[in-house]
Amino acid sequence: MSDTRRRRRLGEAALGYVFVLPALAVFGVFVFYPLVKTFVLGFYRTPPFPNLPSHFVGLSQYGSVLTSPAFLDSLWRTVLFVLFTVPLGIALGVALALLAHQRLAGIRIFRTIFSSTVATSVAVASVIFYTLLNPEVGLLSYWLGGRGGAGILQSPTLALPAVSVVTIWQNLGFVFILMSAALQSIPDDLMDAARVDGSSMWYRFWHVTLPLLSPTVFFAVVVGTIGSFQAFGQIDLLTQGGPNNHTDVLIYSLYQQAFVFNNTGVAAVMSVLLFAILLLLTAVQFRFFERRVFYGR
Amino acid sequence: MSAGEGGLDVPRAAGVELEGVTKSFGPNLALDGLSLDVPAGEFLVLLGPSGCGKTTVLRLVAGLEEPTRGVVRIGDQVMNGVDPKERDVAMVFQSYALYPHLSVRRNIEFPLRSRHVDARERMRLVAEVSSALQIGSLLDRKPAEISGGQRQRVALARAIVRRPRVFLMDEPLSNLDAQLRVEMRAELVELHQRLGSTILYVTHDQVEAMTMGDRIAIMNHGVLQQVDTPEKVHDRPANAFVAGFIGSPPMNILAGVVEPVTGDTAPARSPTPADRSVGGTDAGALVSVGMPGGSIPLGGPLAEAVLSRGLASVIVGVRPEHVSIDPAGSLAASVTLVESLGHERHVVCRLEAGQLVVARLAAREAVPRTGERVSLSFSAEHLQLFEPDTEARIDV
Ligand SMILES: Nc1ncnc2c1ncn2[C@@H]1O[C@H](COP(=O)(O)OP(=O)(O)O)[C@@H](O)[C@H]1O
Ligand SMILES: [Mg+2]
Repeated sequence: MSDTRRRRRLGEAALGYVFVLPALAVFGVFVFYPLVKTFVLGFYRTPPFPNLPSHFVGLSQYGSVLTSPAFLDSLWRTVLFVLFTVPLGIALGVALALLAHQRLAGIRIFRTIFSSTVATSVAVASVIFYTLLNPEVGLLSYWLGGRGGAGILQSPTLALPAVSVVTIWQNLGFVFILMSAALQSIPDDLMDAARVDGSSMWYRFWHVTLPLLSPTVFFAVVVGTIGSFQAFGQIDLLTQGGPNNHTDVLIYSLYQQAFVFNNTGVAAVMSVLLFAILLLLTAVQFRFFERRVFYGR
Repeated sequence: MSAGEGGLDVPRAAGVELEGVTKSFGPNLALDGLSLDVPAGEFLVLLGPSGCGKTTVLRLVAGLEEPTRGVVRIGDQVMNGVDPKERDVAMVFQSYALYPHLSVRRNIEFPLRSRHVDARERMRLVAEVSSALQIGSLLDRKPAEISGGQRQRVALARAIVRRPRVFLMDEPLSNLDAQLRVEMRAELVELHQRLGSTILYVTHDQVEAMTMGDRIAIMNHGVLQQVDTPEKVHDRPANAFVAGFIGSPPMNILAGVVEPVTGDTAPARSPTPADRSVGGTDAGALVSVGMPGGSIPLGGPLAEAVLSRGLASVIVGVRPEHVSIDPAGSLAASVTLVESLGHERHVVCRLEAGQLVVARLAAREAVPRTGERVSLSFSAEHLQLFEPDTEARIDV
């Protein structure tokens, strides 16, 4: 009796594994294998000239990358870039979602406009802003202080903020849709009750709207942080890490190591470090901010 | 309710007045020229079928909606354009609308905190109201962790805690089970007596309305039908709609054709006791009201009123308790259903043209069997007639 039951349960488990197998195979080939391979690649020093054998150097390459000023500068620029893009992007997304949540005639036009950037790619966004910021013909350059001279993307101080603005703009549609959906799910009765209970608009935002939006905001922070750490297209298209490395964020210098300098060893080390940083950061976010999130019932 | 009655009974009630209030949502007319005067301290029940505009009335008073036309006053001040937070009213929502991320205590404190009441005063007020409503042990829980009945009390506590000038309650008991509803009904009435506050209470349940209200305002399709005490609304309904909405089971409403009784009977004379029975005898009848399955003779002032208005047809209303199964009755019908409620029975009869007439009999009375053919008679002094076009009551 119990024997047949055990056998049946075993059979079910086997069937389960069979179903999981295709997904596991795809993950194995495209995710797990490259992950392990990258980690191993980091143990080998790439020779200065191609076709020479690479040396096994163990963890020493990790140490030298971690302490190199180039890496630390690049990491610092990345942190700045994340700090510019994530909080501002989410704040703008929430603000636009609140505006578009009003019951006004023609508000749907604005909803469409606000969410339209989801339909553009990084490349399109970059080209648009490249043109707008062009020192010779760009409208934004013209508005921001005359034609000619040094462009904003060529300015050591303004290039990173400019790339951040493009990133925020590009992500705004997605954040807007995310926050709008979350706002819609807050029952109208709750906001009405808060109004009758005598609260000001500001009080309602901080004590009702924001707490109920918190799971979505948290999600946007986690996903946005990872996204900004991995932002590449806009930097490659707008500044190529310049001027003078001032927009040379981690992922861009990683790309250069790998595909410009062909230094796969260092690139692999940087990949692993980037992975570790993101893993740690996300864990920290869950550990310290998730407890302030209200997940409904 | 026992302890903590300390400061609960400070009356700060204000009257509410709506004057010619119309509210439309686009092409949708939710309220049509509604005028209603609720004196301070009254428990007024707004009663009507779903979608008749009851919630809209409350939202207009709360300031969550602005009237398309007309004036809303609270305590003689015009409230049009005044923000909800300046109106000093409290609302209990049908959904309770408790803030799900806040503890019960913080929920009750919400109106106090948003008005910057200091912490010690908040503590005192919450302790007072939570002991009065017996929710003192729930203060640290979240709304999701308490029962429906407890949530209802928390919603009530949140409304009471700041002593508003007017309470607005939107079907607050409709999500409770039947037994709890009866209990809370009594508690709310008691609370009203203790607080002396003005309450606008919305319900679609006429039993709730009859048992709780000082007065009942009955609405239909955004139009106010009648405002009066429960007794008046029951005994002298202003029109056929009110008549058919009030009472359990509700009044029987039938179409009748008026035929003047010609011949030897004197057309006009003072009524005699004999006139007061209808359906049994036709002595002294002035008119006969034809209905499917027979006709009922009618005399007295009511018949005179019908004649003087020159009506060819009327709407006849008769309460189930005034319908009797009587071999001498003049309306032929067949019994389709007998419902027993223990203390009484409802006999549902079908007239020849298919209309249903309900008779309410005491449990000890003999009851016919289903399918049996019977004769019905209506008690004359309780018969109500309504105009065929306006459905307004024909008064005598
Ligand atoms: N915000 C709104 N937009 C459009 N129509 C509405 C709105 N609120 C109420 N209505 C309409 O107004 C009428 C009255 O609604 P309501 O006051 O909620 O009725 P009740 O509370 O009596 O059930 C209904 O026909 C409803 O569809
Ligand atoms: Mg309603």
